[in-house]
Amino acid sequence: MSAQTSNRRVQREINLDAEADRVWAALTDSALLEDWLAEDVDIDAERGGELTLRVDGEERNGTVIEAEPERRLAFTWEREGEGESLVEFALEPAVGGGTRLVVVEQALNGPVALATTGWEARLKRLELVLGRVLVFA
Amino acid sequence: MATPADAVFTALADPTRRRLIETLAARQSATASALARELPITRQAVAKHLAALRAARLVRAARRGRETQYSLETKPLAEVSAWAERVGAEWDRHLARLERALADREP
Repeated sequence: MSAQTSNRRVQREINLDAEADRVWAALTDSALLEDWLAEDVDIDAERGGELTLRVDGEERNGTVIEAEPERRLAFTWEREGEGESLVEFALEPAVGGGTRLVVVEQALNGPVALATTGWEARLKRLELVLGRVLVFA
Repeated sequence: MATPADAVFTALADPTRRRLIETLAARQSATASALARELPITRQAVAKHLAALRAARLVRAARRGRETQYSLETKPLAEVSAWAERVGAEWDRHLARLERALADREP
């Protein structure tokens, strides 16, 4: 049971029939993101950039944590009525051509979710988020 | 915003508490002393972890005579798997659309 319940984390992988530059554009260009991820997308795809979009009519806001062109993109977002979670994309060449895309979403829990005000809390949250990103790398 | 699921995750972040839950899952109920005999930690440590699990509503306590019997609350754990199912299904849907979008815009 621990494998399923000890982490609020999901991972998906897909081999895409497209080179990394096209996949990267699909992940970071607001107009292209509207083709597949959400509506009304506005993303500033660099570290510290803001992200707003609507998924199934529900607004989500977040912050870009990491953007390494054609390799890694990480941002946070917050589902309505829930705590924040971290979304990470990793791109790598797929065997036999194309691009392998790995997506991980994990909830940022407890103290992170509780830290909602003040700079100290913001810095702590960023530190924690970056710590997790490094673990992922 | 902290949700009940957050409390569950904080409680489950500790490996000893996860062991404790697995031990409790294997039986209907147990006392703190019985749990301490099965795990490589003291009765005091068991009591401390049980308190944290009760605070997260993962464990319930029932007094029987002079003893307190602890057993698992399964609902919060089920909610946690529901999160993974819901979020996983959302990504399946997104990625299927991404695959199609890339095929449609083939240069």
